[in-house]
Amino acid sequence: MIEKKNLEELEKGSLLAFGEIFNGKIHPSAIEVLTPLKELGLKLDKKVVLICLMDNFKSFQDLEVLKKSVADEVWMVCHQELVHFKDDLYAEVLIEIVKTTSPYGLFFPATSLGCALAPRIAGKLNLGLCAHVNYLEVEDGKIVMVRPTYGENIIAKLILKTTPVMATLSIGAFSPSFGEKEPKFFEVAMPEGFNWASKIKVRKFKPSVKQPNRLSTAKVVVAGGRGLKSKENFEKLFELAHMLKAEVGATRPVCYEGWVEEDRMIGVSGVTVRPKVYIGFGISGALQHTVGMENSEFIVAVNTDKEAPLVKMAHLALIGDASQVLDLLIKKLKK
Amino acid sequence: MEKIILCIKGVPKPGTVKVDPSTHTLKRDSLELILNPPDRQAVEMAVRLKENYGFKITVVTMGPPNVIPFLKEVYGIGADEMVLLSDRAFAGADTLATSYVLAEAIKKLSPYSLVVMGLKSIDGETSQVPAETAALLGLPSITNVKTIVKEGNNWILIRQTEYGEEELELEPPVVASVLPEVFDYLRPPSLKRLLEVKEKDPLVFTAQDLRLSPEKLGLNGSPTQVVEVFEKKFEAKGQVVEGEPSFLVEKLISVLEQKGIIHP
Ligand SMILES: Cc1cc2nc3c(=O)[nH]c(=O)nc-3n(C[C@H](O)[C@H](O)[C@H](O)COP(=O)(O)OP(=O)(O)OC[C@H]3O[C@@H](n4cnc5c(N)ncnc54)[C@H](O)[C@@H]3O)c2cc1C
Ligand SMILES: Cc1cc2nc3c(=O)[nH]c(=O)nc-3n(C[C@H](O)[C@H](O)[C@H](O)COP(=O)(O)OP(=O)(O)OC[C@H]3O[C@@H](n4cnc5c(N)ncnc54)[C@H](O)[C@@H]3O)c2cc1C
Repeated sequence: MIEKKNLEELEKGSLLAFGEIFNGKIHPSAIEVLTPLKELGLKLDKKVVLICLMDNFKSFQDLEVLKKSVADEVWMVCHQELVHFKDDLYAEVLIEIVKTTSPYGLFFPATSLGCALAPRIAGKLNLGLCAHVNYLEVEDGKIVMVRPTYGENIIAKLILKTTPVMATLSIGAFSPSFGEKEPKFFEVAMPEGFNWASKIKVRKFKPSVKQPNRLSTAKVVVAGGRGLKSKENFEKLFELAHMLKAEVGATRPVCYEGWVEEDRMIGVSGVTVRPKVYIGFGISGALQHTVGMENSEFIVAVNTDKEAPLVKMAHLALIGDASQVLDLLIKKLKK
Repeated sequence: MEKIILCIKGVPKPGTVKVDPSTHTLKRDSLELILNPPDRQAVEMAVRLKENYGFKITVVTMGPPNVIPFLKEVYGIGADEMVLLSDRAFAGADTLATSYVLAEAIKKLSPYSLVVMGLKSIDGETSQVPAETAALLGLPSITNVKTIVKEGNNWILIRQTEYGEEELELEPPVVASVLPEVFDYLRPPSLKRLLEVKEKDPLVFTAQDLRLSPEKLGLNGSPTQVVEVFEKKFEAKGQVVEGEPSFLVEKLISVLEQKGIIHP
């Protein structure tokens, strides 16, 4: 059994993170986001709390995952009205928690739900909100956030004048980490008069037929750009990926060309990856792409152009035709 | 007639951005601007709703006067009324300060039954403005919308998330942000309407017209502060190998072995 606490009994001034749950499962981003928050928490002497909203605790399947997380506490709000994500209701629950526990920070993974929820709360509470942050640090006791902006190749460093500090954090920008100590779990009792009504009625839900890809957590990523020349060539990446237990990534133009689904896009408009090895075939390395892969441990670029930015940032650059190298690599690996 | 409010934004043409080093904001007046591409999807959504249900469309943008051509372009596509929110005091706004001005203008344009926006801009790319504006208006916000239809008095919206498609029902008014790439075909402006709009000027609302609180406006009214912007440059840090494809592949395979990805 999990101990119940009223809002007033919860720890004040902490760093709160939204743990997105869907169908009883926690989104992997919840665990990623805790990594930088734990570092901040240690520097600023604040507790790190993961907040999970769900319909009922019995349907939650990932308790073991949360037990291993680096959070100091996990707060669970359970109510049948939370069974579907409803922007207004979810925001009101979090606003109530923020109002009583005056957190120092409030963070969301930049998933589609996180990006829908965070600005509603910021708007309602008149707070600043940083979008798609991929690096956080403490300077003079203050949280400083870094994010790419895209008109040109510009990186912005931001601070907020309001508390709690709020941000959505790029998916895949931080590695998951695991704690030695199990977090304390509390079920949060919302106040008696809390209004669980929502203006949103969910009539139907049609799950995606496809399994979401594991790009953001893949250990090896093989990515392709326009230098692969055709959809047919691009599709060979899937064969290579299969051999290397890798995931396939892509640049924006090739997604738009229809060579591959858009959920494979790496970069500011897509996902962030940080694999052990990233191999880019025929990718120029525009900043919009590289912000999504620059933290890869080892970067390989295959390109005909020695001057391409990705060639310059790569640990290993192979100057040559991307599809020839790809074909030959697959052939050799088959042996 | 029921009204749709359509919000659009002029954004710098990619690659033309200049940074003002003292205020750390983009120099918006000196730039070459384009209509934010995702907003074209919102425009198409609004015009289809107008066709199907006979709405009137009011297109709204906050920005300097050089965004007027985009209001006219959208008029050409099918909007009926143009509103420019323009004041020196709005400059340097973060999403909260932007949403505050939009929300107050939208209130002034009441009654309306739907607010349609793009999913995100291609410059700030925060995608925060739609939900923040809705929160300030006390309205529900639905992001990532791919379909909007009316059933009786209510809106039926289909929202796409990574988990699947949700079909939602809401009473008007609602704020919706439209998923990019929903429509393959984006109708161009009609010549007739473009000629018509030549003679027309948008309604202009300043801070005073909207009775806005000065302390909530622009750079000073923005809780999100850019402390530093810098350009990113990469330096060569690795090994560059040239040669026959077979030589290149050998090199690659040995690296994959070293990294334990494949086993010799
Ligand atoms: C607002 C905005 C957001 C964006 N978001 C993203 C994003 O999230 N992700 C993203 O990827 N892009 C994004 N982009 C696009 C980005 O700016 C680049 O245009 C894109 O990454 C380039 O893709 P590419 O490398 O496939 O193509 P290109 O830039 O055309 O590069 C092709 C490369 O292939 C090389 N090449 C050509 N022939 C061969 C050959 N035979 N063998 C080997 N190499 C060859 C060329 O030398 C070149 O370096 C965004 C752009 C904007 C304006
Ligand atoms: C370097 C840099 C970094 C920034 N980072 C942040 C940040 O992290 N957080 C933050 O709050 N602000 C940030 N800003 C400010 C932000 O870019 C501006 O507030 C911007 O005016 C609105 O945000 P957006 O472009 O991201 O819009 P989005 O929220 O991405 O736009 C979504 C939709 O809202 C509508 N919309 C947006 N702006 C307008 C408008 N002016 N008029 C009419 N409709 C509009 C359009 O339909 C658009 O498609 C940053 C600015 C700079 C220069």
